[in-house]
Amino acid sequence: MTELFLHQQWLIWLTLLPLGAAVAAFLAPQQARWIGLATALLLPVCALAGILSVTLTHADPITAGGWPTPLGIELRRDGLALVMLAVTALVGFIISCYALGYFPVHDRHYDKVRYFWPLWLFLWGSCNALFVSGDLFNLYVTLELVTLSSVALIALEGGKQALAAALRYLFIGLLGSLSYLLGVGLLYGSYATVDIALLGEMISATRLNHAAMALMVAGLVLKSALFPLHFWLPQAHTMAPAPVSAALSALVVKAAYVILLRLWFEVFPALDTFAVGHLLGLLGSIAIVWGSLMALRQERLKLLIAYSTVAQIGYLYLVFPLAQPETMAAAWTGGVLLMMTHACGKSAMFMVAGTIHHTAGSDRLSRLAGAGGPVGVLAVVFTLAATTIIGLPPSGGFFAKWIFINAALVTGQWWYLPIILSGTLLAAAYIARVLGWAFLDVKRSSYPVIPWVMKWPPLVLSVIALLFGLIAYEPIQIALIGAPVHGSIMVEMTP
Amino acid sequence: MEPALIFDLILLLTLISLAWLLLASTDLFRAVVLFIAFGLLLALAWVRLGAPDVALAEAAIGAGISGALLLIGLGQLGSSERDRCPVRPLTFLQHLSAPVLIGVIIPSVTVILLLELRQLQVVTSGQQGLVQNLLSISGSDHPVTAVLLNFRAWDTLLEKGVLLLALITIWSLDQARPRFENTDIPPLLSGFGQLLLPLLILFAGVLLWQGGYVPGGAFQAGALLTAAMLLATLSGYALPSRWTGVALRLVLVAGFLVFLAVAAITLLLRGEPLHYPQRLAGGLILLIEIVATLSVAAILSAALAGGHPVTNLPPAATPTTKIEDKS
Repeated sequence: MTELFLHQQWLIWLTLLPLGAAVAAFLAPQQARWIGLATALLLPVCALAGILSVTLTHADPITAGGWPTPLGIELRRDGLALVMLAVTALVGFIISCYALGYFPVHDRHYDKVRYFWPLWLFLWGSCNALFVSGDLFNLYVTLELVTLSSVALIALEGGKQALAAALRYLFIGLLGSLSYLLGVGLLYGSYATVDIALLGEMISATRLNHAAMALMVAGLVLKSALFPLHFWLPQAHTMAPAPVSAALSALVVKAAYVILLRLWFEVFPALDTFAVGHLLGLLGSIAIVWGSLMALRQERLKLLIAYSTVAQIGYLYLVFPLAQPETMAAAWTGGVLLMMTHACGKSAMFMVAGTIHHTAGSDRLSRLAGAGGPVGVLAVVFTLAATTIIGLPPSGGFFAKWIFINAALVTGQWWYLPIILSGTLLAAAYIARVLGWAFLDVKRSSYPVIPWVMKWPPLVLSVIALLFGLIAYEPIQIALIGAPVHGSIMVEMTP
Repeated sequence: MEPALIFDLILLLTLISLAWLLLASTDLFRAVVLFIAFGLLLALAWVRLGAPDVALAEAAIGAGISGALLLIGLGQLGSSERDRCPVRPLTFLQHLSAPVLIGVIIPSVTVILLLELRQLQVVTSGQQGLVQNLLSISGSDHPVTAVLLNFRAWDTLLEKGVLLLALITIWSLDQARPRFENTDIPPLLSGFGQLLLPLLILFAGVLLWQGGYVPGGAFQAGALLTAAMLLATLSGYALPSRWTGVALRLVLVAGFLVFLAVAAITLLLRGEPLHYPQRLAGGLILLIEIVATLSVAAILSAALAGGHPVTNLPPAATPTTKIEDKS
């Protein structure tokens, strides 16, 4: 009985089910909503069963097609894959619920709305395929799927600006993918394999391999919008419909970052990454300050949240300079933790912004005036989600920053301390600005009626984001299964 | 100097100058024509590199279908938009970004690669030995087909997804416009079509079948079928509206869906996706390839139409459930 339920194939169903559902939703647009909802209900169950099967049993790793590497494609079931699949299942489920309300059955823009479900399910399935892939070329294919479905989803809003943002995103995505692919080609030329584990064993510090690393890292940095290559992100994330903005900030940006983590810690440890690591750290630091300052200046809620994403991506890149030998595990875990908690918090915030835009017709901050009244649940969702963006205890964001600060002090890189602190203060400032408007004592003449699926599901995400620090032990234990790093997460300071 | 080397050098120089000319061209029509020529010569370069499969795909899809797509797109732009690229005042950073990209980044990447590539100890065989050893149990006699549809079938499955996704994207953007309003088709064209159509379909079948042992396969055969479809459209044929509903969508998704179903069944029964039973491998590959050919042809033809079919159903006219904030 246990063999039946505890089987790793659940992790592969996480790819096949949404892709199949996407096709079904395309074939039967009238039923697309229900197909989407059924899939959204099934996937968290699959993710849970998959995680249990990996943690409770010791099955052999599987490959696609059953061919051993280097011929076949390895499918990963390590901790990084597991936690990303779980977060995607959770965030995807909430986004799907929200989309039921955001795209009502009877909509003027029916023609646009009917394509949301196939595209969204395609995006979901491709993200899952990316997280389980252990093969550099397969990662390229999944990355293309993720990019193309994101482009289509951004363009779904219609209008000149949305099309322009989508097209720019497409060009950026292609440039990033091509740069990455060129690096993969160099590695394949030298080692005749694109398997991550095999490459990690064989690779040596030649100049050609450094060129390959530079190309691949540059491509992925562009795709995950690190300063100064973030210029496409605010427009793309703002122009999209709200459920799409949530998915883009929570999942799509992380997809490229997950590949970067795999490359850095599994393929390229043998290379000399000192300078590149510190360069990424420097750009990350600028991103934190610049993104937060820009967020503080915005008059529109969605743009504010998008610039906040730019800043949060900056934190993710602190992982690379902080991952010195003694703090390797700490930096890696902090990055993974921040990815998970940011995905929950940021998607909840975008959904709130979408609801305000949907009901007030504009997401200008001034339209928020008095939102803290009878539709106060929105303000509550936003506040709770914001705790993790600022990094207040007991949110996951707090613990991630705590780990980073610890690692920075242990490795003597004290200059990251003021960066993290100023990022925190600026985040508190721009969040306070939003809340200031929301709790302004203004009597409104009428209050919009919001479908309950747009009010309550995001609350789940923001509560999780808030309490993530308290329940972080289990996710971290899962993330560390088969992790490429070893050692303690909090390192004692030695004077 | 060997004649082959001279040929290669001329080919390379022509390719680079064509690329430069098409990028520098301000006339979009001229750029598209140069792009098609570039694709054809690039196919020749692939032949010289000993990759006839890639050459076939490049000629059929890179030059042929992409060229047709670009020409049709150009035709749909108004003449005023076509003649000039839209000029918009650029910000300082935008002014700076193009010269930096073209003048600094691309040459430096190229120089570094050229310097470093000389160190590359090319593993010329790649995985050839491994593939050859297992060819007999792969279900195909052609190594490329064995890799694409068995050893790395997971990639190909997802690539089929990319193709379908591209079409859904096109459909989500706009509805197809009727392109050929003039009903008088030149007699030469229709006569030519009658002659060429059966040949194209026959040749697509040959390409599909020979994918089992020599270069060919679903993508190339599908591209040829698309050419046949394009020829038929130019000769005045249009898909009857009763076929543009579920029937069309079924043909479009069939290739991906069958592949996905094979993955699901093998995952269910054998615990690994696309882990074919050895004696069924040949049959499964043939099935996937045949359905994929039809879908590739349908998807590319539908892409050429430029949008989703015109639906007769009016969009739901009931008032929106949105309640506007009146404040």
